[in-house]
Order: sequence, then C-alpha cells, then structure tokens
Amino acid sequence: MKFYGYPRPDGSVGSRNYVALIPVVGCVNNICAHLEKLIRGTKALKHDQGCLHPAQDTDQVTRTLINMGKNPNVGAALLVSLGCEMVDAEKVYEGIKETGKPVDMVVTHEIGGMIDTLAKGARIAVDMVADTSAVRREEFGLDKLIFGTKCGSSDTTSGLSSNLVVGDVCRRMTEKGGRFIQGEICDIMGGEYELKKLCHNPEEGEKIIDYVRDLYLRGYAVGADVRGSQMTAGNMAGGLTTLVEKALGANAKGGTVPIQGTLDYADLPPDDPGRYIMNFPGHGFENLTGSAAGGAVIHLFTTGRGAPNGHPIMPTIKICGNANTNKTMSEHIDVDVASVIEGTESVEAAGERLYRFAVDVANGKMTKCEILNHEGMEILIKGPVM
Amino acid sequence: MGKLGKKIAAADNVATVLTKCDAGDQIVVKFNEQEESYLCSQDVPFGHKIAITDILKENKIIKYGKEIGSARVDIKKGEWVHTHNVKDDYLCLDKQGNPLPGQEA
Repeated sequence: MKFYGYPRPDGSVGSRNYVALIPVVGCVNNICAHLEKLIRGTKALKHDQGCLHPAQDTDQVTRTLINMGKNPNVGAALLVSLGCEMVDAEKVYEGIKETGKPVDMVVTHEIGGMIDTLAKGARIAVDMVADTSAVRREEFGLDKLIFGTKCGSSDTTSGLSSNLVVGDVCRRMTEKGGRFIQGEICDIMGGEYELKKLCHNPEEGEKIIDYVRDLYLRGYAVGADVRGSQMTAGNMAGGLTTLVEKALGANAKGGTVPIQGTLDYADLPPDDPGRYIMNFPGHGFENLTGSAAGGAVIHLFTTGRGAPNGHPIMPTIKICGNANTNKTMSEHIDVDVASVIEGTESVEAAGERLYRFAVDVANGKMTKCEILNHEGMEILIKGPVM
Repeated sequence: MGKLGKKIAAADNVATVLTKCDAGDQIVVKFNEQEESYLCSQDVPFGHKIAITDILKENKIIKYGKEIGSARVDIKKGEWVHTHNVKDDYLCLDKQGNPLPGQEA
C-alpha cells in the first residue's frame, strides 16, 4: 500500500497542505482567527499558553510551537507574536526554519495594534498560500506516514471493538514501516506493566511507569487520588469495573505492536518504525496537539459515546463500535465497527476496512471533523500558571 | 436463542453482555467456534459482565486473559460482576515496589 502526500523540504510527507498561522502567545489568538477567516488555505493554531509559565513549561510550549510548524501537514508558517511574551518568538521561528519551509513573523507591538498586524500578516499569508498550493502530491510508502491514536468518550464497546480494530491497523501500518504515537498516561495507569513487556528496551518500559507515577504524584500533591478520578461515573455505568480493565481495553489501540520508545510531550519520534508512547494526557485538546507536534499527519480516534473533536491540522478519523451512537451521532463518525461487537465481522476484516479508509484520508479524503470544522487544540503545561 | 455475551480470551472467567439482560435470560457466549450458554441470575445492564464460572472470594477476575481485580465475595456462575462484588487491586508503586503515599489498599 502506498499513499499520495505532500513532500516537504526536510523529507517528511504531509496529508494536508496548510499555511499555519501560529500565535506565539494566546494574547494574539484573535489576529490568527481573523486571518484564517480572511485567507483561504490557512489554519489558525489557537492556544492559551506562551506566557507566565515556569521555565519548564516555557520550554514545553516553545517545543510544541516549533514542532507544530514542523508538522508535515504545514507547508508554510506565519508566526504572530505580541512582542512581550515569555516564549522566545525568534527561537520558534528558527526552529521551524530548520525544515527549509517558508516561515515569516509579524510582531504586534512593533507594527502597532491588531489592524495593521492583520494587514501585514494577510499580505504575507496570501503569498504563502499561493506558493504552498503549488506543491503537488506524490506517491510514498507508508514508512513516511506517522499517525496518532487515542480513545475518547469511551464505553464498553471501545475495548471490545474499535480499540481492537485500531490495534489491527497499527500492526498493518508498522509492518509497512509506519510510526504511531500513543499516550494517554491516565488510561495507561493500570496497564503500565503490560506495556513495559512490549518494550524493546526495559529502560523505556520503566519510563512509561515513571510517567504513570508522575501523574499519580501530581494528583497527590493537590490532595487527589487520580486512580479514582480516572474511573469516571460514565465508565462504571458503562460496565468498566476496575482501572486495570479500563487500561487493558485502552492499550488495545496499539495491539501487541512492540514499543520502540518513549517521547516527552510534543517531541518527535526517531526514524525507526513502530510504536511510541508519548507523555500526554487523555484530554483531547492537549493530547491531539501532542500527536500533531510529534509529526502525526492523520489520527485514529476511537469513541463509544461520540467524542466530536478533531485537530486543526491533523485529520482525525472517528471509529465507533456502539451501534446506537453510530445512529445518533452519525455526522461525527467516520468508520462504524459495531459489526465486530455483533459478531458479523472479524477484527481483521474491520481492520482491513479501517486501514484502507486511513490511507484514503492520508490521500486527501476529508474526515467528519474536517467537514464539520469540529476542531481545537491546546498545549499541555504542568506547572502553576503565574 | 439467548442473548449474546462476549468472551475475549481463553482464560477469562467473565463475559460482557452485548444487550441489557434480565434475570432468567440465557446468555450465549461463542469463543473459538465453541458455544456455551449461561443462565443469567440477575438483571445486567448493557456492556456489563457476568461470571462464566464460579469465582471464590479473593480469587482473581480474568478479562482479556489478565487479572483485572479480585472477588470481594463468592460469585456464582451467571451473576453480575461489577464494583459491588469486585475489588480494584491496582496500586501505583514506587521503584522499590512499595505503594506511593495516599492509597488505601
């Protein structure tokens, strides 16, 4: 199986061809939002971070912004800086520039206000779209494809159908040299020792367990036992009894594909094909941004009750095994795998179907999230907001 | 023809019911071309589990072929298996294998 993607100067390959409008700090989100409405072919990567963080979070936000710009679905990037933010806008600019892609920046304090910044930014974005739109899709092997997986608004059908089907696709994709990013440390809690067994390198397995310990201790620091928070009332009403049961169902999204290594939030995986565990939360906005910053150009997102959200630059495929949700939330669901629960289709047959669908999306087929413009992003921070 | 239950791995001692079940229903569980039927002894909501063997108190509940918790009480074949009769054994452990603070076993 091959796919048709957009070649980038750094050798990466995109499934989409956007000009990214990147606010260096949340204060200029509005400027990016206006530009996105004004200029076709752009995507505003709005977030609420970039200032008044401890140094560790400033670093994390900086890395995320750079790697969002590096995402192969981005053909060119226009940074919008306010001019006084903690994140070093020049560093973000230089970071994205390393890819060889066109990058430019407008600084609101220097230009003087939103209206003139909009005018200057708009002229730059028009030229960027004109040039970027000339990039043509070419044929590539799946070794050039990075994707993400997660589950959201899960129910008992997730572990019995959609997650198993995604696990099957992960096997198929990695056999062809693909890479995928999985995380949701809250969902791994209870299944961390099972994941460690799948690690090539036991030290990487120990890092997965450290991610879980870190999550637990961050909850403990504010007086919470996250084991309890992680088992939601909805999970239990849906039939999940214990954390381990929930984790084993969630881990099924990667099947038994061996784990190559771990990734810090928003970090890029090495070139080796296979499965990577990123330290990100289950919460959709920060989670999808982590995968996109990791270079994922499509995403396999399972749901039971119907999670609608996608990401601005990463097409997000919704896979659902709940027959009722597939009816009531049909405009949000891309691939119906209720047949697996009903016993009328094998996991492998549904996996083949989803595999082909995912390659179609990589080739340009639009997902329901894209069609509905149902998208959003946020950047994970860990420390206090000052 | 009973209602369907789903068993995932050979070692499992529970099956998930694929429709809401009432006490007295027959639950049919297919696994590896074998079909077995269990008398459901309680009302069980969609997506919840029933025991497919007798499970003695403190013995492990097995799903996906893995231990997911342990029985708080003796559980009879056909009974609903959920938080009321299953203990969540998970503890977050430090590198030495001791529970991190703040967890009641």
